[in-house]
Amino acid sequence: MYPAEIEDYVRPGTVAEALTALSKYEAGDSLMLAGGQSAMQAVKTRLLRPRCVIDLQAISELKGVSANGGALRIGPITPYAALAKEASFTGAFQAINDAAARVGDRQVRNRGTIGGSLCWNYVAACMPPVALALNMEMELTGPNGSRKVAADDFIHGPLETAREDDEILVSLNLAAAPANTGSAYKKWGLVTDALPVIGVAIMITTDSSGACTSARVAIGGLGDGPCRSKAGESAFQGVSANDSDGIAAALQAASDETETQSDMWADADYRKLLIRSLGADVAASAFARAAG
Amino acid sequence: MKTTVNITINGESYEETIPNRMLLVDFIREVAVQTGTHVGCTYEGVCGACTIQLDGEAVKSCLMLAVQADGHKITTVEGLATGGKLTPLQTAFNEHHALQCGYCTPGILMNMDEFLKKNPNPTEDEIRHGLVGNLCRCTGYAHIVEAVKAAASK
Amino acid sequence: MSVDKKGAWVGAKFNRKEDHRLTTGKGRYLADLTLPGMLHLTFFRSERAHSTINSIDTSKAMALPGVVAIVTGEDIKEKILSMPQPVVQPGLPARFPKHWPLAVGKVKFHGEPVAAIVSRDKYIGADAAELIEVDYTDLPYVGDPESALKSGAPLVHDDWDDNLIFEMGFTGGDTEESQAENDAEVEKIMQTADIVVQKRFRVQRCGVTPMETRGVLANWDESDGMIAHITTQRPHIDRLALSDILEIPAEKMRIVAPRDQGGGFGVKAPFYREPILVCYLAKALGRPVKWVESRQEHLMVVSQERDQINDLEVAATKDGKLLAVRNRGLADCGDGCQGVYWGFVMPFLGAVELPNGYTWERGDVKLKVAVTNKSCLSPARAFGEFPTRFAMERAVDMVANRCGMEPAELRRKNLIPELPYTSVCGEYMDSGDFLKVWDNLMKEADLPAFRKQQEEARKEGRYIGIGFGLGVELSGVSSELMVPMENQPGYGAATIRLDARGKVQIFEGDAPQGQGHETTAAQAVAHSFGIHPNDVVVTTGDTGTTPFGSGTIGARFGSYFVSAAVQAAEILKKKIVRFMAHDMALSDATEDDFEFVEGEIIYLKDTNIRQSFRDACERNIMAPINLPEGETAGLEHTAFFEADKPMIAFNADFCVVEVNPDDGQFKMLSWTSSEDVGQIINPQIVEGQMQGAIVQGISNTIFEEFIYDENGQQLTADFENYKMATAADVPNMKITHAPTPCPHTPLGSRGIGEGRPSDVPGVITNAVCDALSPFGIEITELPLRPNKIWHLIQEAKTKQAAD
Repeated sequence: MYPAEIEDYVRPGTVAEALTALSKYEAGDSLMLAGGQSAMQAVKTRLLRPRCVIDLQAISELKGVSANGGALRIGPITPYAALAKEASFTGAFQAINDAAARVGDRQVRNRGTIGGSLCWNYVAACMPPVALALNMEMELTGPNGSRKVAADDFIHGPLETAREDDEILVSLNLAAAPANTGSAYKKWGLVTDALPVIGVAIMITTDSSGACTSARVAIGGLGDGPCRSKAGESAFQGVSANDSDGIAAALQAASDETETQSDMWADADYRKLLIRSLGADVAASAFARAAG
Repeated sequence: MKTTVNITINGESYEETIPNRMLLVDFIREVAVQTGTHVGCTYEGVCGACTIQLDGEAVKSCLMLAVQADGHKITTVEGLATGGKLTPLQTAFNEHHALQCGYCTPGILMNMDEFLKKNPNPTEDEIRHGLVGNLCRCTGYAHIVEAVKAAASK
Repeated sequence: MSVDKKGAWVGAKFNRKEDHRLTTGKGRYLADLTLPGMLHLTFFRSERAHSTINSIDTSKAMALPGVVAIVTGEDIKEKILSMPQPVVQPGLPARFPKHWPLAVGKVKFHGEPVAAIVSRDKYIGADAAELIEVDYTDLPYVGDPESALKSGAPLVHDDWDDNLIFEMGFTGGDTEESQAENDAEVEKIMQTADIVVQKRFRVQRCGVTPMETRGVLANWDESDGMIAHITTQRPHIDRLALSDILEIPAEKMRIVAPRDQGGGFGVKAPFYREPILVCYLAKALGRPVKWVESRQEHLMVVSQERDQINDLEVAATKDGKLLAVRNRGLADCGDGCQGVYWGFVMPFLGAVELPNGYTWERGDVKLKVAVTNKSCLSPARAFGEFPTRFAMERAVDMVANRCGMEPAELRRKNLIPELPYTSVCGEYMDSGDFLKVWDNLMKEADLPAFRKQQEEARKEGRYIGIGFGLGVELSGVSSELMVPMENQPGYGAATIRLDARGKVQIFEGDAPQGQGHETTAAQAVAHSFGIHPNDVVVTTGDTGTTPFGSGTIGARFGSYFVSAAVQAAEILKKKIVRFMAHDMALSDATEDDFEFVEGEIIYLKDTNIRQSFRDACERNIMAPINLPEGETAGLEHTAFFEADKPMIAFNADFCVVEVNPDDGQFKMLSWTSSEDVGQIINPQIVEGQMQGAIVQGISNTIFEEFIYDENGQQLTADFENYKMATAADVPNMKITHAPTPCPHTPLGSRGIGEGRPSDVPGVITNAVCDALSPFGIEITELPLRPNKIWHLIQEAKTKQAAD
């Protein structure tokens, strides 16, 4: 209900100041707070008992989206509301708009951030499967310098990522996408915009005739954490937008390959059905966006 | 354990030394003694009754520590009407019977006030989608949607 | 009473008086109240479902600075009388489990209060709760009513010999012989009827959580006694019960329901453990003590209702004439430890209401209620009717399908054609025109046009459906029913006080939680006196100033309370005109020769003779000389209204849905209702009540479920897991009216809103099954979820392929 005692509250103005604050406490005793829409729930249940809260909201270099040619850098503390409207995602990275526009509710979207969601990596979250589908790269800075980690290596099991306790996520990078690339995301939950029981993100690149040359298919809402479906991805090869049998077969391969769980929201078979039905809508959008 | 903060609420500045762990909603209700903002859930931050505006953005005050609002401006439902004059939204709520017990109402007003500033001509679907973060048990939402539509047209 | 006279307020749109304060943040809810030196109470609750308590170590918690006291069950069991107490014990034949506000000896459900921490700061209370250590020995978990009633089942209450808290038959008269004969007749009908539908219907554990949780602020001093502010629908009942159980004389016990409460819906009607303990501690410590329930506590231990199995049989002729109903209801009432309702009174009423608005030749309706290791059921709007109505409205559709009749047609054929009528369960229905309400609904439905649309849609591979339902609801609860059911009276009581400025005060003992009493009562009484509702002020819920009321329950306001208020107003009007006739020497005036309109009292035999309402009041109160013979000064009256007979309201609904058979997901496209609420006082308030109730029914049907796992762990104690409908999940509703004024109330008004959610699950499920009728699916269980629908479709497809 109420947080445990918090010894220190710090609001650094730069990444360097944040690293200094982190170094004052033992690894894991500090909590870096982005939007707090997930972390504060854990602080209030006392699942998290930070000795020090480091509020990242004043670090302006961690906010905003900038382009460099077709490549993009996304500040991790950029709130969902801004990402939902971000025009530079249109087409190849539009899955981010799709997901950001429907996280939680509009109050959550005013404050919650993409970086917070990725570092928390809750099983029923939207940004992790989107990051996997878009081959996002996470840039981390720690006391020993910076490193870049591909989403495939950053996203681990539930509530686990590659980020060390003394590292800060400083940028989310998207390499320029090849021509004819589109992505989309859709989720299903019991009430509108609920946490995903299943969320499907797909990025598709086609050749000039519209046949898929590369696909990335990622699924969220799974008990073991979000994952890609390699079987689904290979089955998309050569499939075009109007090949509904081919799309269905690819999604069947994805749902066959993916291990799903039963819980109070849906049984395992229904989750597999959702992978196929959500996937069909997502694939259609991704193809359409790839075609421009 | 404690920090001295300066938080502006409805134009009035509060300088207080508070525990770091104090929730913003408790600062508003108990330190500033503005009880119009309500608590409706525990840790989950789903019900929206605590919605206020932080620097003009609708956010849930139960999901923030008060220290995070240090140096910032907060508007609560007590700060909507100016000089005793109700906003078109508050008037529309009365005109359209958009509240019954009133417990969820302040959070809805603070959310919809900001929503209409960003979206002055919303469709019914957009209003309903905008209300996802505010649970109401009494009204079934229909009159609330009518009231927001009516306020938008003013 | 005429509604088109000038200044008439009954039936008029009138913006609510409550709204200004509630839209500007000036509401005064329990959590907003403070007293100097106030302490905070935090409950420490059991995380086990069924365990003996071996020891409780509170020493670390007590050592925390800021902790003032900690008590456990052992500390208070000699200091507070145990429950049950007669004033909150129904007159029905049941067992009433002995209990104290804190667990004594063992815990019986996940969330039972085990200790109470009093601290100067609520955050410290949470810290202290983490430091309490309990040593438990686990006992076997009793998790469902069927297992609970098997012989040899572990006992929830150690001093009982089984887990049956209540059992009753509702049909066949008063003697064993008449009942046996009746049951044999029903069996004969079941054996010989053309059509018998026999199904088990299940409704999940869910309820109507208000947005404001419970709370108490209690203060004791020797001079004022105990003044306790409680989030309650029934302050006068709480006062008697607290006085009895704490052995504080009644004149030293005052209960104040806060002026504003954030919803009740029955959840704030029982006599719970927590207020007993808060009041006890306030007195024991000599300091004000405040408890504000967290949402987690709330979802853990209250708002749980419905949760019934109904094995229902309905017999009919092949022409769709309903003959007999036989039901075996089984309810899971949790531990049953809760004053007033004890978890079983809701299923009791649900069984009484099972026959609904249909005629039956015979019925055999029986109910069993079992205790389990769960929190006790607390009432939720529709009060026990939700599961039985779901069963009945589904069964009626199934009968229609087997007859090859439209479900709407079968309903009309079997509607009670003329009232009053007494059902096979003994429910007296006083007045109304069910056929008129139904025909009004069918005009809206245009069924032939819909069937054409449905056929066209199916050709395109789209599945739309229409579902019907109806509900008889209690309009207030008469003493005839309340006294045996709850050991409490049903009358409405209103005090009206006029002052020397012609302004009116109304005092109501029942406490509202958002229903607009301050506005509606003001309208009704202003209408009587011919003045403006702004000149009428309503005070509610303070036992120190209001007449006794059994509470805001069972739609008592529009039926019983408003009637009492109007009766009191009429008595005062008669006194005023007697004075006027005397003062103006109107020797052949009778009490009926005067009209109260637009602030004046006008003599109808000579309209030049008139007086302002204000002058009349001032004369009587401030200048009481030269009085008429036998009269006294004073314009204050308390009226007690008891209807001649138990009264009802009635509604019928349909909704249209579209179902996607590929994933079982469905969308409600529209909802239309037809209502008989009698004379409407405030039309917007009535519409708001209906819309709110229907959405609660929708949310219960589809989204909400309280889940206990196989170890009795309650998994749904937050809004992430106990999901409620948002604005984006529900349709608009069209509310239409086909009223018949109630002949037993002065305005012709009916009490409304309480039972209203009850037909909603049947309506939606009927629509879904109608949409999917090519698949031949019969849904008999709630909640209605896409994954369950999808599985049923898959099974049906497999079966159809095999055939």
